[in-house]
Amino acid sequence: MICINNLTKVYKLTRKQMQEQKTKKNMKKAVDQLSLKAVPGEIYGLLGPNGAGKTTVLRCVATLLKPTDGSISVGGIDTLDKSEEIRKKISFLTNEIKLDPQFSAKYMFNFFGRLHGLDEAAINERREYLFNYFGIKGFEDKKIDELSTGMKQKASLAVSLVHDPEIVIFDEPTTGLDIVTARSVTDYLKLLKEEGKTIIISTHIMTEAEKLCDRIGIIIDGRLVMEGTLDEILKDTNTADLEDAFFELYKQNSREEACI
Amino acid sequence: MKNGTKNIIKKELTRVFTDKKLILSLFILPGVLIMVMYSIMGNLIDNMVSDIGDHVPNVYIQNSPEGLEDAIQAAGFKANINYLKASDETASVQDSIKAGDTDLLVVFDENFMDTIYAYSGNGDAIPEVKTFYNPSEEYSSTARDSFVNSALQAFRQTLLAERVGNVEQLQIFYIDKVPESSVVMDEGKATGKSLSMLLPFLINILLFQGAMSLGVDAITGEKERGTLSSMLLSPIKRREIVNGKLISLAILTSLSAVIYVVSVVIGIQNLQGGSMGDISKLRFSPVELVQLLTILLVLVYLFVAVVAFVAVHARTQKEAATYVLPMYIVVMLASIMTMFSGGADKGIKYFALPIYNSCLCIQNLLVGELTIQQYGLTIGTLALLAFLVSALVTKAFNSEKVMFNA
Repeated sequence: MICINNLTKVYKLTRKQMQEQKTKKNMKKAVDQLSLKAVPGEIYGLLGPNGAGKTTVLRCVATLLKPTDGSISVGGIDTLDKSEEIRKKISFLTNEIKLDPQFSAKYMFNFFGRLHGLDEAAINERREYLFNYFGIKGFEDKKIDELSTGMKQKASLAVSLVHDPEIVIFDEPTTGLDIVTARSVTDYLKLLKEEGKTIIISTHIMTEAEKLCDRIGIIIDGRLVMEGTLDEILKDTNTADLEDAFFELYKQNSREEACI
Repeated sequence: MKNGTKNIIKKELTRVFTDKKLILSLFILPGVLIMVMYSIMGNLIDNMVSDIGDHVPNVYIQNSPEGLEDAIQAAGFKANINYLKASDETASVQDSIKAGDTDLLVVFDENFMDTIYAYSGNGDAIPEVKTFYNPSEEYSSTARDSFVNSALQAFRQTLLAERVGNVEQLQIFYIDKVPESSVVMDEGKATGKSLSMLLPFLINILLFQGAMSLGVDAITGEKERGTLSSMLLSPIKRREIVNGKLISLAILTSLSAVIYVVSVVIGIQNLQGGSMGDISKLRFSPVELVQLLTILLVLVYLFVAVVAFVAVHARTQKEAATYVLPMYIVVMLASIMTMFSGGADKGIKYFALPIYNSCLCIQNLLVGELTIQQYGLTIGTLALLAFLVSALVTKAFNSEKVMFNA
């Protein structure tokens, strides 16, 4: 389970970043008093435009960033207390995190398996299962550099799941993927849900959120402006589909910039 | 050692040693190039020397005294000699020497022999032989040296013998009749002395160069490619990742430095025809060997940590290369300072200056004069600094601002 309580994350901007963002303030509130809960056996979707703070929330959950204020508990452990323990339980995948292109998918899988403290037998068994599922088996000895974009993404996904984590965090899972690869990724997320894993994803693709997520949290300018199932959101916003609901909420909640 | 660290070391070494192109560009090519470069330089110098030896100089002699020709022949001085009379103009010959076309002009005083024979002592005139040559021309200065030291010397000896009868009367005593037997030295120490000027400098800059080229790619490169983040997500402490990176870099740097140093030493020996001394004559006691290895080990770790500290703060490899350059210059300066210190005994306080002290230590080790205090202070300061810098690297790895620009 993931429990986020009043998470606030403030970034200090460099002079260059201040110029780029055309602001005179040297602080930017990327996430503002955000609370949510993702439970086992569901896919929770964070929906929001670019720069809304989705990635920051997920990075805080994955212990890569520390909250400025508020707290996050992952699998019952506070992220500030035992980050290594949390990293044993989670898988975090984003397009920005990549596998070393000079190694084969097999080498990378074994390497991260060892870093997670798995023995060789467990690594081999897990690799057989995941590589077969994602169709990587025939390419497992090829260098990551030589794989297609879709195959690279599937290899990254398989490697991130080497330790059979109970919590899966996925930042923009289908961005940049072709339709076939995207489908295999979303299908696997559904499978993980059936296995009782806790899954939280971020997306700005409405159809993906509609089809995949059990509950959706809409995040605009760092604040969670609405949360619920698709039906609840449509009902509350009195709209026919998620896109309309999103724009309705965007009109009500968007502000020029989230600076303090 | 923690498992995480071990796995990272193994991965980093595998990355280099399974990449043929990397092995070639990191280890083989630089070593071969250094040796080839020095061998070519050696050959060129040999060619130059033999060319000077083969050259037959153009020499003009004015007022040549009687008997000089015989002395020239007896001394084996080979040259195209033109004899000038007292009335001949020598300005054009001097111009020709300046232009490099003529090598030497020798002017004997007029009535040279008469003046010599008229000498009876007590302030009588002594004639002069005046030479004109061009020191900026190798042919000219060699011709002058050869003429003065062989032909003219032989001619003077002949005249001396005529004047005093028995030349031995003037000898009074000999100095080193067999010069080779006068040399009493420890060949190992002599070799150490000649190596001690260059080797510490080379070791320092080559070690830093290795750390620089490998470290920037292993840290900034991984950060830039997004592959470091995947390691940061694994359930190990950042300290383990830093240790894994630093130790693997230290191993690779040491290896490349060994190859570079061996290539340079072999290259220089080829270049100088062995005048650097025979390396096989160098003898280290087991204690000295341990001292040398520990100094190098701590130095490598320090360099790797310094490069890692710079590399982790840079966003791109280009930026890292720019940041690391001033460090390289500092290392170079500290090393160059010891090259020209002239082997003077240094006070113990100099052994507290990191990097400079490692050069001094290696210098003293090569001549067998390193004291335990000097060694202890050097190791202590280097290790302390390496520890502090690696702690700063770990701090940077823990910083979300540095790692994720957050």
